[in-house]
Order: sequence, then C-alpha cells, then structure tokens
Amino acid sequence: MTRAAAAATRGRAKAGAIGYDRPLFAWMLNAPALIAIFLLAGYPIIQSVWISLHKYNLKRPQRFDFIGLGNFADILNAPEFWSSLWITVKFTLLVVTIVTVLGVAIALLLNQPFRGRGVVRTLILLPWAIPPVVNGLMWQWIYDSKIGALNGVLVALGILTEYRGWLSDPTSALLALVFADVWNVLPLAVILLLAALQKIPGELYESARMDGAGPLQLFWYVTFPWLAQTLLVVLILQTLSAIRAFDVIYVLTAGGPGTATTTLTWLTYLTTFENLDFGLGNAYALTVSVITLGFALVYFRVLYRRGDFET
Amino acid sequence: MNASFLRRGAGASATDARDLRRTLLLTLGGLLVAVYILAPFCWLLLTSFMHEKDALSVPPQWIPKNPTFSNYMTFLDPAGTRAIVGSRAAEQTFPGMVNSFIAASGTAALNLFLGTLAGYSLARFHFRGRGSLLGLYLGSRMLPGIALIVPLYLTIKNFGLLDHLSALIVTYVSFTLPFTIWLLKNYFQTIPRSLEEAAFMDGCSWPQMMWRVLLPAAFPGLIAAGMFAFMTAWNDYLFAVILTSTTAAKTLPVVVAGFATDVTTERTLMATSGVLAIIPPLVLAFLFQRLIVQGLTSGAVKD
Repeated sequence: MTRAAAAATRGRAKAGAIGYDRPLFAWMLNAPALIAIFLLAGYPIIQSVWISLHKYNLKRPQRFDFIGLGNFADILNAPEFWSSLWITVKFTLLVVTIVTVLGVAIALLLNQPFRGRGVVRTLILLPWAIPPVVNGLMWQWIYDSKIGALNGVLVALGILTEYRGWLSDPTSALLALVFADVWNVLPLAVILLLAALQKIPGELYESARMDGAGPLQLFWYVTFPWLAQTLLVVLILQTLSAIRAFDVIYVLTAGGPGTATTTLTWLTYLTTFENLDFGLGNAYALTVSVITLGFALVYFRVLYRRGDFET
Repeated sequence: MNASFLRRGAGASATDARDLRRTLLLTLGGLLVAVYILAPFCWLLLTSFMHEKDALSVPPQWIPKNPTFSNYMTFLDPAGTRAIVGSRAAEQTFPGMVNSFIAASGTAALNLFLGTLAGYSLARFHFRGRGSLLGLYLGSRMLPGIALIVPLYLTIKNFGLLDHLSALIVTYVSFTLPFTIWLLKNYFQTIPRSLEEAAFMDGCSWPQMMWRVLLPAAFPGLIAAGMFAFMTAWNDYLFAVILTSTTAAKTLPVVVAGFATDVTTERTLMATSGVLAIIPPLVLAFLFQRLIVQGLTSGAVKD
C-alpha cells in the first residue's frame, strides 16, 4: 500500500467510531497468539539450540557435556547427512513438481462446465481426509510384491509378466513414495488453485478471445498472471510439507530399502528416537529448520518483489 | 443471401462439432480424475469388506466373492465371540476416534478464537510492528515439527501433561495458528469496513460488533480456516505417538499405525480401521465443500 493510500485509510478510520489507529488495542489482540507461539515454538527452539550444543545421549542420561558446535561439525562430516540431503532434494522436487502440474491441470478442468463436475469437485477432497498413516498403509498394500493391486492390474493388462517388489528396489521405492505422497497432498493444491481461478473475471477471457487469443495465449496472458500468487503459496506449502514428510515414510518404507528413502526428516527421527542421541538429533533438526527457512526466504523474496506479501 | 445462409449453417455445425469434442474431452478428463482419486481408496474400502483369506488371494479379487461385515462387527464388539489377533487394537479404535475428535475440534476452536483476534487486528489496524508480526507468524510456520518435538516433549513432561489431550491440542495450535491468522486476515480484509462502522453507530461495543456483524459475514472464511486446523490435527501422527501412550489420549492415527507395525494383525482389520479413521473428516469435508472453496476464494489470495 502506498503512503498516500495509507494516510487516506487512517484519515477515514479516525472519522469512524472505532478509530483504526490504536496500536495498544492491536497489540492486545495479538497478545494471546503471540504468547501461544512463543511458548510452543519460540521457547522450544531455544531449548533445542541449547541441547544441540551438548553431547547428550539418553543411553547415558547423566552426561550433558558442552561441546559447542561439535554436533554440527559431525553432521557436515557424516556421509549419511549428504546422502539424505540429496534424497530429500530429489523427493521434494519430484513431489512439488508433480503436485503443481497436476494441481493446475485438475483445477483448470474443474473450472470448466461439464456434467458431473460437482461430483468430481467433491471427490477431489477425499485424499485430504485420509491421514498420512492410513495413506501409507493403503499404498503399502497396493505396492505389495506378493498380493498387491498394482501388480495385479499391470499383470492383468499384460504390461508386466510377473509380480515385482516395488518397495524393494531403491529407485522404484523412492518413486512409489513420491506417488503415494502426491496422491495425499494433491487436494490442497487443487482447492487453493480452483479458488483462485474462480476469482478471474469472465470478461477478461471474452475480450482476449475477441482479440483472437488461442487457448495457450489465454492461459499465459489471462489465467497465469491471476494464478501466479496462489501458485507461489502452493509451492511454499508443498515444499514445506514434502521436506517434513514423516508419517508416510514411517509406514511405507521406513527409510529403506537400505537408505534409499532416508530423507533428512527420517534421519533426524532415527538419530533422536532410535539411537536416543538427543544432542546430535537436535542438531539435525535445526539443520532441517535452516534448510526449510532457506527455501522459505527464496520464495518470500519473490513474493516481496512482486509486492504481494505485505498488507 | 442464399450463400451467406449456407455459410452460417456450415459455421454453426463446425462450432457444434467443436463443442461436442470439447464436452467429450472435459468429461473424459473428469472421469480420469475420478478414477485416479477413487481407485486406491476403493481398494482399501473393498478390503475392509473381505474375509482375510480372500484379501490375500492372487490375483486380487476386484469384487469380493463373499462380502462380509464381520470386520466392522469386530470393532463394534471387540470383546465379542470372534477371537482375533490384534483385538486390543480393535478395542482402542473407538476411544481413539473420540480422542481424535476432541483433539481436532479443540484445535480448530482455539485456532479460530486466537486467529480471529490476531487476524482482525492485522486486517484493520496499521500499527508499528505490524510487518514484523506478519513475518514472525509466517516464520514460525516454517519450523518443521521434528525440530520442536524433543523440547516440547521435555517441557510437557515437566508439566506432567504427557498423555493428556490438552497438551496435544496446544501443540497442534502452535503450528496451525500462523496459517489460520493469514487466512482470516485476508478474509476480514474483503469485508467492507462500513459494515462494522454501522454497527458502532448503532451503539455496539467491539465484542458485540464482532459477534453479531463481522463473524457472521466471515462465516465461509471461518469454516475454511477451521477445517484446515481440524484436518492437520486429525491427520498428525508424529506428535501424537510421542506425546500420548494410553487410550486416555491416543489418537486414531497412533492406533492405526499400531495395527500396521504389528505383523500378526489381519490385513482386513487394518483396512477397516483405516476406513473408520477417514469417515469423520470425510463427512466434514463433503459437508463444507462449497463453503471451504468460497472461504478460500476470498481469503487465500488478496486482491
């Protein structure tokens, strides 16, 4: 908002009965949320930093030795960190790309009138209502090497001649995980994008068509600019949720076979709750946080530059 | 004249053909999406109506040969006649469902209360620090849950609140609140100020104005925000498994995962517990479908 517009708003506000220029009242309204976030995110993160600076393993709970950045040095020297980072990048890129492309395609489709659209619009919400644990379980059976539905369908269609262990091959296990997660998170992208599409005034398309624009030009010059901001929101939310994906990995692959699906989040979990190495585990968790924040900052810079984020 | 009539006729039939092709393509697309969404879920649903022997058959039975309700009966009456492995998990399913429902509703309610206050102030007031507050809220959304779990566990343990639903609710609120605030702020901004100014003219106090004028006008936005919070809480596994241990607070995903990691459990029972875990959020999502999209249309993206 420009300064002049802000001043105008302020002037109008003063004229009203409430007066929108009462900073104390505004802060009071924010106080409960701020307290909740400080207690449940701020304080824990400070504590997490403190623990990460110590050698602290629950197998020897009496020892709590300050070692400075020792845990972080260990992480940077650990080959499993770099391999899990690479797996996280692959997983995140695949999920975010597929969800975004499919999400836009389905949202565009559901924005067109056709018989049964209402049914499909309702159906698309179904995976959203499925907890990732249940989702993982469902896909585990679909991928099953002995009795799985995927094998059953592919053999029945003659695409495969014999059953395959989708989750026992490193490459297909990662892809299987990606497709299972995509199915689960797709609805969020679709409903956000569909909501954005519905805001585009129909006149824009009419006048663009008058000017002789084809379908591709319509998408690029009319739809895309209106969709851009929501696309960024979708990208942010999907990137975050892909980096944090845990439940589906826990049920579907448990990081395997070998370390083929061991993402950073899964490695953090193993270090903390299997090895009970709370010091190193917290250092891993903070590393994940820093990487997530890095992603977020990049996205925000884009949003800021477009001037969409403020106000 | 005759020629132009003919041309128009030909043009119309070409448009008709294009319209028909378009309709066919759209319907086909819709059908594909429906199959993609339904097929995996149907497999889960069908398994829940099968006998264990049929569920393990090769090739898979796409239509159960002997459909049965016995899996569902087991959950209704876990101590019943059918002696089964994993009956303890079956016993935990309904308490788990109640716990999940309380945790998710509590999270949604607390979110809407805190989010309305903060969202309103960010939508209406221009005060020093407003930008930093927005940044802080968004920034706290960036922290992955795994980074907070150990300190939260230690803190909650110190307060003696392990295995309490209240601890679960406040935890969920901390990471759903930023999105709620952002959504509600944007929704409130689309509601004309004149509405609330008129209420003040009529002598309403601020809480009266909120309750009688602003919140009813923001109903779709509230529903959308509430549903997002509800779903996040309902779906969570990581925090629930670390912070709860008995049926006093165990939520449904924990119970289902307990099934999943127990190799002796019957597959059909697992499928049934999965279906049961889906029903409540599914009913809500279908019920509020229109309001959710409407709430997001005005709320998610600011003009």
